[in-house]
Amino acid sequence: MEDKKNLIRMADKIQEALIKLKHSRYLELMRQLTSFASKLQEFTAESRKMGASLVHGWFTAAERCCSRTSRMLNDISYSISQIQQLTESPQKKTPKLSLLVEELNQVREEFGNVDFDKAESTVSVVTDPITLDDVPLGPFRIQLELDKLSELYKDRPYRVIALNPNPAATDEEVTHPHVSGNKLCEGDGCVTIRAALEEGRICDFFTVVRSILNTYNPDSPYVALYDWNGEPCYDCGYVMSREDTYYCYYCEHDFCSQCSTYCRFCEETVCLGCSTECPHCEEMVCQKCIRRCTECEELCCKSCLEENICPNCKEEMEKENEEQECKIAGTNQNRNPSQPDTSEAEIKLAS
Amino acid sequence: MRVLYIDNDGGGFADYVDVTESITVEQFFKDKMQGRKPDNYLIRVNRQPVPRDYVLQENDRVTVTPTKIEGASI
Repeated sequence: MEDKKNLIRMADKIQEALIKLKHSRYLELMRQLTSFASKLQEFTAESRKMGASLVHGWFTAAERCCSRTSRMLNDISYSISQIQQLTESPQKKTPKLSLLVEELNQVREEFGNVDFDKAESTVSVVTDPITLDDVPLGPFRIQLELDKLSELYKDRPYRVIALNPNPAATDEEVTHPHVSGNKLCEGDGCVTIRAALEEGRICDFFTVVRSILNTYNPDSPYVALYDWNGEPCYDCGYVMSREDTYYCYYCEHDFCSQCSTYCRFCEETVCLGCSTECPHCEEMVCQKCIRRCTECEELCCKSCLEENICPNCKEEMEKENEEQECKIAGTNQNRNPSQPDTSEAEIKLAS
Repeated sequence: MRVLYIDNDGGGFADYVDVTESITVEQFFKDKMQGRKPDNYLIRVNRQPVPRDYVLQENDRVTVTPTKIEGASI
């Protein structure tokens, strides 16, 4: 008996919310029409500006008018579709209390139970545990917030709460490929959900939401299931999405952006461990592009080597050469100036 | 004869439709959801599951809801 009373209370609250929703549809339509009218006025203003631009030969200004008009056309087509949605479907009759009780009874049969939180003014059901592509996501509570039902044309009046959450490794808010921050992205179910709520078909609403939760759309997830657990950086352990990883072909592991770099010569991605900083130009170089100086065997990039000799060795060699030349020059100067060179003597003899 | 048909596959609209007498729910589904498999739908008549050979009655309420609907991310 108490249970039946509870269902009637719940149905009564839903009916009240549906009456408010009816009113809010007209309010929303009025808001959309006002916005549409003001957009039309903007077109008039734009037309005046275009006229003035042409009279004065201001082609840059005319071009700006064109791009503004193009932007406004996009806005206006969106406005038209919003208005059409509100006007084309005829106003739904508010369902009788008995019909809403039947709905709630059906919800109970489909889901095993239906909870009514009088204080929070919510009606909710719990799904079976959901597993998509072998990723266990746990059961979800679908919670219809009756006080927000009148906001149906602006926002989703329900929440989808993971009861045993297994969120995506890269985003705690994403508890299902199509749920972020307890909000479901309805995709193909959007129109059906709205129609079900407008008509007070509460059971259809819950079953459609459940069908969306039981389906994975790989073309448009918040986080793809193949990437659900993320990929840890082999070096620092930071967990990231697969798209954000950098693969090192030398050690064959995935790294984050902080732990990887690229070779300045071949532009290959390489981890910090498999790359070497050239001590001369300080650029990062991969193992394939690094060379060893034939003199000191120091690692060095290709461009800093000259005939396989590093700049340090080159400098030393040049110093040595210079010193040797100096020595030779010094030996010549130390000879007896009274003894003329053969060539000088020859010159003298010749003269 | 008329039945109330609620199609949750597309727009989710509820409409009265004319059907032939003694049509089964299986035939009704085939007519309305051509090329679709009944296994992929939750079919209820008067809010109850029924066998495929259930013969529709005047003013029956038939609901067809897909068990798989693709969500999105925006």
